[in-house]
Amino acid sequence: MASFDRHRNRRDNRVDTLSDTAIEGKDPDFDAWLSQQLQFHEPYLDNDGFCEQVMEQLPAPSRRSERRAARFQYGAVVAASAIVAWQFPFDRVWMEALQQSISLYSLVGVGILSSLAAMTGGILAARR
Amino acid sequence: MDLNDGDLIRRVVDGDQRAYAQLVRRYQSQLRFSLRQLCDGDRGLADDMAQEAFIKAYKALPAFRGDARFSTWLYRIAYNLVMSHKRKKAPDVDQEAVDRARSEESVEEAQQLGMARDLDSAMKELSEAQRQAVHLCMQRGFSHEEAASIMKLPLGTVKSHVNRARAKLQTLLQAWREEVVSGQL
Repeated sequence: MASFDRHRNRRDNRVDTLSDTAIEGKDPDFDAWLSQQLQFHEPYLDNDGFCEQVMEQLPAPSRRSERRAARFQYGAVVAASAIVAWQFPFDRVWMEALQQSISLYSLVGVGILSSLAAMTGGILAARR
Repeated sequence: MDLNDGDLIRRVVDGDQRAYAQLVRRYQSQLRFSLRQLCDGDRGLADDMAQEAFIKAYKALPAFRGDARFSTWLYRIAYNLVMSHKRKKAPDVDQEAVDRARSEESVEEAQQLGMARDLDSAMKELSEAQRQAVHLCMQRGFSHEEAASIMKLPLGTVKSHVNRARAKLQTLLQAWREEVVSGQL
């Protein structure tokens, strides 16, 4: 405080008779310096349960927005599956399967199982 | 992963409350610190107001159009709350809490280093409006327009507060600046 008083006494008269230039604030260096000092000396306030208290008091999210989010996730999974199916060379796999004498039923079974696994994984990932 | 405010807000509107927790954590320190100044150091009141502001912002988030930054919008809500609280409760200021805060402040003040202490004292020389304008523009980095919308003052008035405060601070803190420039610090 002593240093402040010392500087203050030296300049008390100048505070009340500010020049136009000072009032207009034509010193960008000072602005940057002051801004830096103000930010540097600001303490960080620990969360200390503040966030948890806020979250406890929030109203529950509406069912409508939950349903909308779920619809969006299912839509994304279906779209992704469609793109994969579009790009997948079914005809070649089919021909190969015939040549290798793989039974049609086991092939369909494997296909369904892998699609289910991919969709479940996609849904779980999207929900997380 | 650190998402930006816009992404988090979209998630909140889609029903993801955890995204809002991220926003609260991001802004809690700054907002609580700002409100402490606005509440004359009454920390309990400042925290209550900050909490209420976050809750009010959450409820109003679906209507947030995004034409201002989230922080500006949040500060506007918080400042409105404090101002209307001050208007309503003006005669019932918790003097004990203010005195307690002041005594804590003076202990903190004694522990502060020279520059921080003098900066704090210089800020106390400003009027409340000047202090708020400087705080918002120079400490928080809001533009004059944003500060005007938060403080609900005309743009010219905010500019004038900032300029006068800056000039006062420039005079009061000149010696520190000279010391920094001349490398004595």
